[in-house]
Amino acid sequence: MVSPRTIRNLKREWRNNWLAKIGVALVVAILLVAVFAPLLAPYNPRSQSLEDSRLPPMGFTETENSTSSQFVNGSVQVVSERTTVNATWDHPLGTNQLGQDMLSRVIYGARTSLLVGALGTLLAMLIGVPIGLVAGYYRGRVDDALMRFADVMLAFPSLVLAVALVGLWQQAVWRIPDPFVAAGLAPSMPPDIVLPGTVIVVVGLVTWVWFARVARGEALSVREEEYVKAARSLGASDAFVIRKHVLPNSVTPILVLGTIQVAAIILLESALSYLGFSGTSLSWGFDINQGRDYLATAWWIATVPGLAIVLAVIGINLVGDWLRDALDPGLGGEGGSGA
Amino acid sequence: MSHSNGVASRQDVLRVRDLSTRFFTDEGQVNAVESVSFDVRDGEILGIVGESGSGKSVTALSLIDLVESPGRVTSGQLWYRNADLAEEFSDAADGEFVDLRALPTRVRRALRGPSFSMVFQDPMSSFNPSIPVGEQIAEAVEVQRRARANPRSTRSRTQGYGLGRYLLDSVVPTLDYTDDESHERAVELLEQVGIPDPEQRAREYPHQFSGGMLQRAMIAQALAGEPDVLIADEPTTALDVTIQAQILNLLRDIQEERDMSVLMITHDLGVIARMCDRVCVMYAGEVVERGTLEDVFDRPTHPYTEGLLGSIPDLDDPAPRLQPIEGNVPSLLDSEMGDRCYFADRCPKAMTECLQHPPEYEAEGSAEHRARCVLADHPYDEREALPPDYFEAGRPAETGPVDGGTDDDRPAEEAQQND
Amino acid sequence: MSYGRFLLKRVLQGILVVWGVITVVFLLRFITPGSPVDFVAPQDASQELRQRIAAELGLNEPLYVQYVDYLVGLLNGDMGYSYIFGQEASAIVFGKLPATVELAVAATVVAVVLSIPLGVVSATRRHQPADYGATTFSLLGISTPNFWLGIMLLLVLAVQIDLFPVGRRGIAFSTAFWMLFEGNVSGMQTWLAHITLPALTLGTYFTALITRLTRSGMLDELGKSYVQAARAKGIPETLVRYRHALRNTLIPVITVVGLQLGTLIGGAVITEQVFNWPGLGQQVISAVNNRDWPVLQGSLIVIGTGFVLVNIVVDSLYAYLDPRVIE
Ligand code: SF4
Repeated sequence: MVSPRTIRNLKREWRNNWLAKIGVALVVAILLVAVFAPLLAPYNPRSQSLEDSRLPPMGFTETENSTSSQFVNGSVQVVSERTTVNATWDHPLGTNQLGQDMLSRVIYGARTSLLVGALGTLLAMLIGVPIGLVAGYYRGRVDDALMRFADVMLAFPSLVLAVALVGLWQQAVWRIPDPFVAAGLAPSMPPDIVLPGTVIVVVGLVTWVWFARVARGEALSVREEEYVKAARSLGASDAFVIRKHVLPNSVTPILVLGTIQVAAIILLESALSYLGFSGTSLSWGFDINQGRDYLATAWWIATVPGLAIVLAVIGINLVGDWLRDALDPGLGGEGGSGA
Repeated sequence: MSHSNGVASRQDVLRVRDLSTRFFTDEGQVNAVESVSFDVRDGEILGIVGESGSGKSVTALSLIDLVESPGRVTSGQLWYRNADLAEEFSDAADGEFVDLRALPTRVRRALRGPSFSMVFQDPMSSFNPSIPVGEQIAEAVEVQRRARANPRSTRSRTQGYGLGRYLLDSVVPTLDYTDDESHERAVELLEQVGIPDPEQRAREYPHQFSGGMLQRAMIAQALAGEPDVLIADEPTTALDVTIQAQILNLLRDIQEERDMSVLMITHDLGVIARMCDRVCVMYAGEVVERGTLEDVFDRPTHPYTEGLLGSIPDLDDPAPRLQPIEGNVPSLLDSEMGDRCYFADRCPKAMTECLQHPPEYEAEGSAEHRARCVLADHPYDEREALPPDYFEAGRPAETGPVDGGTDDDRPAEEAQQND
Repeated sequence: MSYGRFLLKRVLQGILVVWGVITVVFLLRFITPGSPVDFVAPQDASQELRQRIAAELGLNEPLYVQYVDYLVGLLNGDMGYSYIFGQEASAIVFGKLPATVELAVAATVVAVVLSIPLGVVSATRRHQPADYGATTFSLLGISTPNFWLGIMLLLVLAVQIDLFPVGRRGIAFSTAFWMLFEGNVSGMQTWLAHITLPALTLGTYFTALITRLTRSGMLDELGKSYVQAARAKGIPETLVRYRHALRNTLIPVITVVGLQLGTLIGGAVITEQVFNWPGLGQQVISAVNNRDWPVLQGSLIVIGTGFVLVNIVVDSLYAYLDPRVIE
């Protein structure tokens, strides 16, 4: 488990590693944003206002050519007008084609991304770790069968399989009342947190293999340790040995892999949303998809949420690098499968 | 010890003067090698003996410029006898000798192989695991062959071997760096070091060799450039006891046959006794005693040497180990070294004057017997003795790493593990 | 074990995995709500008509009969009939395959050509500007969703400065290639102009990944004793780096790249969507949306089999470069 030695290593890697500090800062910031979204967002991310549509972010101005027909002296004339749209402090990151505030949408998007990332990883862990531990511990036939099955799963690119499953299954959406709104702290905000259930289940189903592989490797090596052999020769049950010895030894590599996987799943979720398979419209990938059609006239609609994804994923990857360097779990190139 | 006769009349091939190598680690400066001086002569075997962490391996690496960051050779001269180089680099020359440290890196590197070569402790990790053994030896031959064809050009040895060529090589295996002639020479070398069926074995990979056979192959590889000085760093430590004697005999035969000089680095006094003409004893980065084999073994002056020898009842015993001397190996951290005799905390004869760092004194015996100990100058005086608990009371400076029985001779790493 | 036996074993394992892929794909239909009949039959179809369609599709047979039928069909190159297109599914799948393969190969070429030198430079000039540049690039590369990168490339290079066409596959590589023999280079130009942005988009993640792996692998290898031994015997630094360290670095890198190939294909799906590239990936998405089962199943099987094939090649290469793995 987390021994004092582990903590010492973490500290040592922390001292001279400013990348790790940036990573932790980013992750903490995004976590705070996600948790306190209703308090931080200046507008309800869903509320539309057409007269404010496509406002550029602060620091940019946009000129728009519009043509209109007018009656001048009894005949119809086509008038083309150049209007300059200025950014306002009301919408620091601009607005999208529906006049929704980009900043509020980015803030709420963090919730979706982190929730899917965390819950999806958790599910993948819950499926993959026991399978891997059992395969590695019992070896032989059980191992062969489970690992062949893992090979089969690996042969499907996770995004392709996820697209197929999410697309074919009905979108299950879980709604949880937002505690801040319920407590009356942010009355104008959306009342529910929308959890895209199918997406969470599917990303878990398509990424568990990585956890199984790592857990199996650990189990294989731990079962050769003398103290494990001793425990077994004394008649300890398999379940006891797995729980008491094998599992605790696998915690470090699984934690490191888990961190990397959260980043990978955030990328996977954004890809699914981009392709139109999200369960909620409050998602960075969904907004990028919206912006794809407005590249020529409103570049920021696609740009801003993408930057949010990059920042979040960089933060998590940096934390993952830090953990890996400090704990040295010997993962090699395991994990991944982002988009 | 007949082979030590007439040693004094031989010429020096390498004169090491005041060599210091330091490691600049996060924990501080580590003085791995501290002002070391000794000579290597034509056709002799010089032994350097010491515990792990005494700086003997770092000394060897310093000679061929292989000390890696955060380590650096900080001072000293390495006078190497080479008339050609002395003529070309007259600024760095003194008669026939030239100071290696004053030569351009390019020239100095080109001396690896034809002038100096090294046999390492662990043959298994010293060969590239994914290239056949014969090919690796042929590579060493090829490099020297190309260097001879065009002595002053590094380019000819590389011959455009870069990333592109590597990628081509991996697709088309026949486009290799070495040619048939070098391969034949490699097989010949394997045969000379007593590997049966060398043609076949040349095609095999390191993991298909036994430790002893692989060490023979490494010796063959080191001979590829016909070196003047062969440095053997613990060449038998990683091997089976039964194999050790064979490898030592092989080294000795080869040395006599080619009349080259060997620098034998070991922690094993038995190896020294059976192989060497002259000996340096190292402790805490310093040479604490040096002289002929008889000087050091029959008339040891430094209490550390005496301690080492205490464990050997019979010099012909093939495998006596260093006697564990009470106390810890010093940490070598500059900030903790102080200005006393480095051995004082473990020395049974430490006196008040030992709190001053002693110079090298001439010692009884042959003309070249030296010891860095006041006892070489005047006898032990009990009235001056330090109290036995002098270094324990409130002096935390002496908590170096406990010797874990490894032969890892890198104080830098030890210091890093020491937090 | 000899190299031949190793290959044989690897191929047999591969066949087993492909069989597993087919089985999973077959079962996919039975863990999905809704019946395929819904997508074939008209909205107001009578019960009788629905029955007939079900019978036609073989849906009334027991599971194992359908399974065996499907396997036998596949062995004969028959993936079923797509009612949506009114065409054999295999014709559609194999018709779209070349575009995807082109894209994936181009991306791999981009990745390999850029990443290995970057990784080597980064490792050999540690803590110098080149290293910081390469490390920053690779961190960004693995953290950027490739569809967004594609959109940004489009925004800057196609929309703003009009350097590249806005997507679509201009011409098939094979066509462009044959045009070369007629002395016509315009086909190649069109092909290159169209594939550059998608290939960069798809290749960036891989470039970044291989750069990272090469860098850390190189640093590892350069610290090993055999490198020091090679230097001690007089091998020049260039040879030490490329012939010894890089070679040993790339051996494990190759395996990881094989494992991550799924990411490349998954990336192709979404890259195709961004650039309107008419490949298998677009086909999968439309097949999912239309419930075009034969096309969907066929595509998944082709993708899975491709993954297995490439991994067999990768493993054989690995065993060739590092003979220790055979034992
Ligand atoms: S100088 Fe003093 S302390 Fe050092 S070895 Fe000699 S007697 Fe011992």
